[in-house]
Amino acid sequence: MNAPKPAVPPVVLKAALAIFVFILVPAVLSWIGGGYLFQVATTALIFIILAASLNLVTGTAGLLSLGHAGFYGIGAYTAALLSTRFGLPCVVTLPLAGVAAGAIGVLVALPTMRLISIYFAVATLGVGEMIYVILLNWTGFTHGPMGIRGIPPIDLLGWRPGIPLFDYLVVAAVTAFSVWALSRLMHSYYGNALRAVREDDQCADAMGLNVVRLKIETFGISCFFAGVAGGLYCHTAGFISPDQFRFSESINILAMVVVGGLGSLPGAVIGALLLIILPEALRGFGDFRMVAIGSIMFLSILLRPRGLLGEVSALDLMRRQFGEAWKGGAATRVGWR
Amino acid sequence: MFDIYFVQQIVNGLSVGLVYALMAIGFTLIFGVLNVVNFAHGEVYMLGAFAGLMLITWIAPPVLVIVLLVLAVGALTGIGLERLAFRPFRRFRDEASLKSRAMREATLLSSLAVSITVREVMTLVFGAQMQTVPQAYMLQQPIAIGRLSITVGDLVVFGASAVMLAALQFMLFRTRIGLSIRAVSNSPLGARYVGIDTDRAIVATFAIGSMLGAAAGILVGLYSGVITPQMGFTPGIKAFVAMVMGGLSSIPGAVICALILGVSESVATEYLASGWQDLVSYGFLIVTLVFFPQGLFGVGRERA
Repeated sequence: MNAPKPAVPPVVLKAALAIFVFILVPAVLSWIGGGYLFQVATTALIFIILAASLNLVTGTAGLLSLGHAGFYGIGAYTAALLSTRFGLPCVVTLPLAGVAAGAIGVLVALPTMRLISIYFAVATLGVGEMIYVILLNWTGFTHGPMGIRGIPPIDLLGWRPGIPLFDYLVVAAVTAFSVWALSRLMHSYYGNALRAVREDDQCADAMGLNVVRLKIETFGISCFFAGVAGGLYCHTAGFISPDQFRFSESINILAMVVVGGLGSLPGAVIGALLLIILPEALRGFGDFRMVAIGSIMFLSILLRPRGLLGEVSALDLMRRQFGEAWKGGAATRVGWR
Repeated sequence: MFDIYFVQQIVNGLSVGLVYALMAIGFTLIFGVLNVVNFAHGEVYMLGAFAGLMLITWIAPPVLVIVLLVLAVGALTGIGLERLAFRPFRRFRDEASLKSRAMREATLLSSLAVSITVREVMTLVFGAQMQTVPQAYMLQQPIAIGRLSITVGDLVVFGASAVMLAALQFMLFRTRIGLSIRAVSNSPLGARYVGIDTDRAIVATFAIGSMLGAAAGILVGLYSGVITPQMGFTPGIKAFVAMVMGGLSSIPGAVICALILGVSESVATEYLASGWQDLVSYGFLIVTLVFFPQGLFGVGRERA
């Protein structure tokens, strides 16, 4: 297939995005001079990872997961315990946080992936709540409701300047990598297979896709990135407690994906930015954060049922502007794996 | 092991289970007619409790009047909820739109959004802390039956639930509106073709389900004396679990599973440290789903 000519070469667009995230935003934030603003920006970046990873499962593969915050929590607790108990550096704790969450995700997925539609959503809800109950009550291991304090900030190979700018840059780099990886996944033959499974899993099965295996893999990958996000969160916040990883957080992440558009990666990014930054901007008027999230979610479902940037236009955008076309020997190598 | 304390726990568990059952029926009725999950059901329960509390503090009527007024509030809440979160997304025109996953997910998420908004607005208005119920209205006077001690609240919960379940059965199987609800839940398009006003049946379903939910809310409020804006969340999830375990659209199944959940949680407090008993229901949920993917009492449903 012929990819349409992009208006701007993909390289330029990617470079512009990189300059914006890595130079322009930190420069402006430093110029305004707000440690708090850096914190908001870092949180927004972490939620971009969460929304993008949930989007892979719920948007692209069509499996409504209501327990994403649980895996985020597993990542956060893994990283926090590894760094406070054993003093491991971030280079080790972040990947391990992802691996732990991903492994538990696969374990959860093995029995639950054969469930369909609403049953799967309920099962993930149950798993998310189970994770919360365990984090809350296994006091000897997780410190229970007191949470874990004094988690060391992000370091890079032992170097720990401990300024907000540094945290921001590291989080931005990890976010950029995660979004890139998820985008490669979603806009590949693999992503096409997931969309086929979402539209009609029996039909996809009949066409030779291993549906259960695809779903389990996807769920594991999504949980891996949620775990990485959790690791980033615990190192930047310095304090975690079970309440931060409860059902309402899963709903926040889901709201981001829905507002942005199910199955649309740029949509998930926009949704995360909107739902983190808008409530912060409204903070002056009182604590309307959750009210704002609820109302934004409701209005967007009512007025833009396909999301701010729906899947079809998002796929088109990614293919045209970012060069994520399905090309490269498609004629010779039919297949997706 | 089978001592008096154990029996006591079972009695307590039955009260809790009946409350879950009242909520689970609301879920089940709505799932039956619309094939969607109403995530705002826990908020109906919370609003029922708050409505009762308002009535007590303003005019202080007798308990029976409170329950009746709360039922009315529940019905109104249900009708409003249907108008706000479900009707805008419903297009019962043809087979395809009826079964479309887009419709189902839109209403699921819109009810979720409404529930978040309602809960947070209530938190802003009343504050997140516990509201206290006046002592005169608390249903905690103990009654001794042999060595067993139950409270008035247990009896009220048993009695009210029995009355409401009987009324529900009567309504569903002996009245025209019940007939139309059952028809819509059987086949929405078929019901429409034979001239049933499906919208009216759906509104009635929401009203009835929400009445039961609101009644459960005020009963728990008077029984435990704890009324907070967050109170709907946990019972909502438990009732949801009961509905799924019961097979999504089977009312007897939902009631039985709700009772199982209530009793097993209550008994579990004897063997587990406090705080862990929530794990029992979720464990039940996962085990049920893995071994009985259609629920314990569900019939084989068409794949959607």
